[in-house]
Parts: sequence; structure tokens; C-alpha cells
Amino acid sequence: MNVIEIKNLTKNYNKSRGIINVNLNVEQGEVFGFIGPNGAGKSTTIRTLLGLIYPTSGSATIFGKNCIEHPQVRSELGYLPSEVFYYDNMRVMDLLKYSASFYKKDCTKRIQELADIMDLDLKKKIDDLSYGNKKKVGIVQGLLHEPKLIILDEPTSGLDPLMQQKFFDLIAQENQKGATVFFSSHILSEVQKMCSRVAFIKEGKIIKLEKMSTLQENSYKKISIEAKSILTTDMFPIHGISKFEVNENTANFIFKGNINSILKKISEIELRNISIEEPDLEEIFMHYYTKED
Amino acid sequence: MNIYRFELKSLRKSTIIWTCSIIGLAALYLSIYPSMAEDAADFKKLLAAYPAPVREMLGINIDTIGSLLGFYSMVFSFISLFGSIQAMNFGVSILSKESRERTADFLFVKPVSRNSIVTAKLFASLTMILATNIVFCLATSILANIVKTADYSSKVFLLINLTLLFIQLIFLAIGMVVSVFFRKIKNVLPISLGFVFGFYLIGAVLAVGENDEYARVMSPFKYFDITYIINNGSYETMYLLISAVIILVSIAVTYLIFNKKDIHAVN
Repeated sequence: MNVIEIKNLTKNYNKSRGIINVNLNVEQGEVFGFIGPNGAGKSTTIRTLLGLIYPTSGSATIFGKNCIEHPQVRSELGYLPSEVFYYDNMRVMDLLKYSASFYKKDCTKRIQELADIMDLDLKKKIDDLSYGNKKKVGIVQGLLHEPKLIILDEPTSGLDPLMQQKFFDLIAQENQKGATVFFSSHILSEVQKMCSRVAFIKEGKIIKLEKMSTLQENSYKKISIEAKSILTTDMFPIHGISKFEVNENTANFIFKGNINSILKKISEIELRNISIEEPDLEEIFMHYYTKED
Repeated sequence: MNIYRFELKSLRKSTIIWTCSIIGLAALYLSIYPSMAEDAADFKKLLAAYPAPVREMLGINIDTIGSLLGFYSMVFSFISLFGSIQAMNFGVSILSKESRERTADFLFVKPVSRNSIVTAKLFASLTMILATNIVFCLATSILANIVKTADYSSKVFLLINLTLLFIQLIFLAIGMVVSVFFRKIKNVLPISLGFVFGFYLIGAVLAVGENDEYARVMSPFKYFDITYIINNGSYETMYLLISAVIILVSIAVTYLIFNKKDIHAVN
């Protein structure tokens, strides 16, 4: 079953580009990564999905329903926006209680649990919290009703690494309990850790949608060589080379394809050193981006 | 109901401040009534020296100024100005504050429709406006009884006081409908002051000029002519209807536009 369905979704803003013909399905129980640089259209996609903004054309649904026509469908939704702002003169606990009052269940116990995990002081005034602590309020607020769909928009900004880890553990737990997670980010390593599938968005268009495993296994190799002689840019006349950078007798590049063919080529050179690594997502991602340009 | 209660709480402080200010203003003016009533003849002479247009603008009617109700009608033009600013402030800010305080991403992803959010906020503002008026009516009745030099019609007094409620309802509705046309309102006061003083000045100009009856439609401040109320003990039906139409249309448009509005990300 698809928890999120986005079909031919287009949103034009008056002056600037929004998103163009976005298609996405997120299945129940998966952690779906949504990757793109700032301004690519991630937030626009999410906001349309949540019913905050109206699509120019196409449709976006959660649990098979449109959020604008069926606001009740959002009762199973937890959303953490990229920047959190709350009613300043409230205490954290009062805000969380207010948030909980929108869902027809008793969330008191869960609020306490989450606050303990995230190390959040419920008695403080929101006004007095640091940005990181406000973010924690956002996390608790988004999860206190144990939603079946969790939408995260750049969730980790402002959290220290320790808290990020706790946060990821928390999301993983929710996922194990059956929650579907839609995770938007421009930081690839965090998506890499969690997601089963990932979609790349660039300038408002989805440019690639792939399984995480395929992405990493698809024999992308990051190769660095150091030769005894001076290297030239046209030394590997084979398909699958990208991001080729050469500097006198060293060269770095990403190779996609049959390992043997590149190794044969490399073996023709007198080497001083070689390293072959798994590229991280960032490099694969940049590869997609440069290819599209 | 949770949104309604929440909004009531957030309006509480400013309602108290506004109510106290309006009552304070009324008290200030009413406190000079006894001394003025004593020297009514001199006072009338003084006012008569004012050019007629200025008297018109300030709502001063020499024939009745010596009586409590006549004096109160002069006071009341300032009270309704104050009250309008309060109502317009409420109207402009109640929906726009989620964007201004950047809490829209919290409220508008809750499992409630935009309509029910508008309704809750509208009713919370209405409740507070009503509370203002009830407290204001009670307080001014007490004050009037303290300062009175002769008996006055408490029915007419109530009728005058009720016009504050009507004018406030008009400006609350205008404020709401104005606010939904803005993408984001950084500062409420300039907008509400602009509109209220704009209408007030139009009203003042209308009072001075020789206009036909229908020009009054231009300014809500002219819908409830206190001299008429004192003389007739009733309102002008046509302007009651016009007020109702303005309020209902504004609120209907507010719902329509707000429902179709894009809630943009903070930046």
C-alpha cells in the first residue's frame, strides 16, 4: 500500500519556479529519502502534500486522501518542519498539550517518554529555549501522537551530533513500530544511514529515484591513482568515468561500470599508489547533478 | 474548541488593556461633566465660538451638550474611534498571526480544516469584543449615574453604548477580510490605524461637507448618528442593514480566500 502518492504534481509560484511534474510513491513501512540542494523544491513538495499550499496541477495524497479535502487524514501525520517556531510565551508542556489536544488520544505518557529521550525540560518557556532545544520541542511535538506517517523536512539542523543520533534512533524505532518515514534533506550522509529508497530532486524535477542498495552497489567506485609519470585527461577512453580530476601525476574520478575494464586500463600505467573506495552518496549525487547539467 | 480556548487565552491580555483604556477614556471625559453642567451656559457660548464644521467634526451638538446624553455623544466619538482600533487590530491579527509568528506550520498541519480554524478564531475575537462591550456598558452606566445632574434615559444610553459593539463588529470583519489579502503582515498596527483613521477622516469630511444622505455609507463612523438616536430613541434601520451586509460579506470573503490561500514557509 502506498502511504504517499504524488502524481504529476506541479506548483508554479508567481515569479519563481516551484516543482514540475513530480511523481512519487512511498510504500507503507519504508523510510524514503528525498534529496536535493536548497531551493530544489523539497519543501514545496512537502507543503503541497500536507495541504499547506495548493497544487497548480496534479495531486498529492497521504493514506489515499488529499489533506485539503480531508483534513482528518492528518491525524496520523507527524511533521517536523525545517525551522521550528512556536508560540513564544508558552511553556513547553502547555504547547505540547495544545498539540496533543488535536489528536483523539491521551499523549501524556508519550510526551514524557519523548522528553526524557530528547533531554527536554518541559517546564521552560519556549521563548527561553535555544534553537536546538526548540528543535527538540518540534521533534516531541511531531511524534507525541505516535503518527503512522512521519514527514521530516531537514530535521537535524540545530541538533548536536549526540542529539542527532538519539533522533535517528527514535525515528528508527518508530519505523520498526510500523511508521512510514519521509525524510527530506540536503545532507546525504544522514539519508544514507536510514533510507531504503531515495529520490533526487533538482530544479523542481525528480531526476532519479532509486533503491538505496542499488545506488550503493551499482559499482560506483571512487578511484584515486598516483602514477610515476605525468597523467593526461584523455588517458581512459572508456565509458563510465565522471568527475575526472587530474593534477600532474595524480588523478581522481568516479567510475560506474565493469570493474575489469577500468582495471585493465589502470594496469597499463606505472603506479605509485591506488585507492578504490565506495563513493558516498554525496559523490553519486553530485555525479547525477553534473551529468544533468 | 481547543483552538477557541487557546485563542481566547492569547487575546485575554490585549482585551483587558483595551477595555481598561476605553473605560479610562470614558471616565476621564465623564468626570468633567459635573463641572461643565454647572456652567453649561458659558460652555455653550465657548463652543458656539467654534466654527460649525469643527463642531460637526467633533460630534458636538450645542443644543444638547448640556445634558448628560448630549455630552456623552461627544465623548462617544472618541470611544468608538478607540474601539474601532481594538476591533480592527483583532481582525487583522487573528488570522495573520500564525504567519507572522511563524507558527503556521504547527497549526495548519493539524487534523482540522481551515474553515474550523477561521471559525474558532472568529468566535474567540467575537467573544472578546462582546466581553469588552459588556464591561464597558456596566462601567459607563455606573460612571454616568455618579456624574449625572439630572435623570436621563437609560434606554437611550444603552442604545448609544451598543453602537460601540456594532462599529467594533464592522471593523473586526473588515480587519479579517483585509488580512487575508496580504501574504504576510509584519506589523498589524499600521494597517489597522491606517484603515480606522482613513474611515474616521472620511467621516469627518462627510460631516463638514454638504453631502446627500447616501454619502454616509462611505464611513462606518457615520452609520450611527447619536443625535438621531437621542431624538428618536432608535437606530436608522437602513444603516443597521448596511452594517450587517458589510459584516456578513467580509466574513464570507474571509472564509473563501483563506481556504484557498497558500501557507508559505517561513523565511
